[in-house]
Amino acid sequence: MIYLLDLFLIALGAALINNFVFYYFVGICPFIGVSRHLDMAVGMGCAVTFVMVIAAFISWTITTFVLMPGAPVSAWVAGFFLAPETAATIDLSILCYIAYIFAISSSVQFVEMYVRKFFPKLYESFGVFLPLITTNCAILFACLTIMAKVTAADTPADAWGLDKALTLAFFGGLGFTIAIVIMAGIREELELADVPRPFKGAAITLIIAGILAMAFMGFTGVDAGLRNALAM
Amino acid sequence: MITWVNIGLSASVLFGMAIILTYILGWASKAFHVHVDPRQEEVLEALPGANCGGCGHAGCSSFAAAVVEGEAEVTGCTAGGEACAESLARIMGIEAQDSFPTRPIVHCGATFDNRLQRVEYFGEKRCAAANLVTGVQGCIYGCLGFGDCQNACEFDAIHVIDGLATVDYDKCIGCGACARVCPRNIITITSFVADRMLAVTCSNQDPGPDVKRVCNVGCLGCKSCQRASSLFKIENNLSTVNYDAYSIEELEKAVIASKRCARHRLAFVGKGDEVDIGNLPVEALTRAVTADFKTTVDDTEWRG
Repeated sequence: MIYLLDLFLIALGAALINNFVFYYFVGICPFIGVSRHLDMAVGMGCAVTFVMVIAAFISWTITTFVLMPGAPVSAWVAGFFLAPETAATIDLSILCYIAYIFAISSSVQFVEMYVRKFFPKLYESFGVFLPLITTNCAILFACLTIMAKVTAADTPADAWGLDKALTLAFFGGLGFTIAIVIMAGIREELELADVPRPFKGAAITLIIAGILAMAFMGFTGVDAGLRNALAM
Repeated sequence: MITWVNIGLSASVLFGMAIILTYILGWASKAFHVHVDPRQEEVLEALPGANCGGCGHAGCSSFAAAVVEGEAEVTGCTAGGEACAESLARIMGIEAQDSFPTRPIVHCGATFDNRLQRVEYFGEKRCAAANLVTGVQGCIYGCLGFGDCQNACEFDAIHVIDGLATVDYDKCIGCGACARVCPRNIITITSFVADRMLAVTCSNQDPGPDVKRVCNVGCLGCKSCQRASSLFKIENNLSTVNYDAYSIEELEKAVIASKRCARHRLAFVGKGDEVDIGNLPVEALTRAVTADFKTTVDDTEWRG
């Protein structure tokens, strides 16, 4: 029961309360760039979610088995050269950034090929923004959050498993989709509005993003309250 | 020793990742291979690259794809004109056929003074918004004069003069942006077989007395033009020009009809001054006009 509650709170936190876009301000580039039309926004949200889940899977696997201090695979390999007690302290976590970027860019490449083959219309409407997912900080952010939860846990039992990592990635992507779809809906209405000249274009978009972020502040603290209420 | 183990492990981790991911991507690039015609790149380079959308495609690249697929004519690029069509035809290895430029016709001729029952409108100064409100002006068909077309035009070729959208045919390249934004669909894109074309500059489909109540110049549907020339047909109390039958013989009668029109709604629009229509070569006029453009309006609204 506690396990399910944990998963539920991670999902809720990633999707709404600590929304990647509105709370952490990551992934703003596609959030502003591709939110002009609703259908494109939905497509972008799905692509980001998909890439995020794949990248989270790869990064969790690498972190847990290779990169984190005393990870089983690297300790086993080091054991051939070092004494067992020094081998157990081997720490490759400096590699996390380069390894995650590696994983993200390859999975974006994979998604691009897949979308181009099977959804050519979607591929056309993405344009340059599909390769730009590579540099989408929301995905790197998800990977780094997972790394922090895996390596910085007090006891090995507290370290996140693959289930929690994938939950965070999927619902983080869902939260991004929610944000970009809300934004696209507002911007489609904005096409008809008479915006004062100094605020036209990017300015009014950023103002709206700020107001939306303030609206999402209303979710702050909901997770702690829910935990108290449901753990009873 | 531990330093060297660390370095070795780091190198082998990245190397291992590189090998595995490269293998996966290599497999994917074969499994998801998409064949792209090399001509598509050449076509794209030969196009103006303005992405104006005048061809009816999303942009130059999608038009290039359609040309290579054979779904679009090489003459489809309105902005590039004949030179562009020729180079596309050379790339595709086919003969370019003569094409006529497409140009917009504004089917309204009423300036502010001629439009009656106009009330002061305090909303957004846009046709798209004003069109949602009833009673901005008496005529529910005619130009609203807030200049959505002027804003949409990338080539500074259409202006609101005295409250009426007026095309500058010297600058116009026929991309059709104005016709797409007009909420009342009074701008049609028509093949101009001559520099100046005869057009009905009214869109009002109401009976004559109702038209008189809202406009000083609107077409009454009196059928005098239809009697004078078979080029005209009255549909829904509104005169329309049958551009398929646009020929030199008919045009002579049509000029007579335009003089008979009580409201002076039959006007020549296009480049330059009034040219003597009788002096134009016959072959310049007898070409059929095909309706292939205005996709935002259904066939019943298409008057070009």
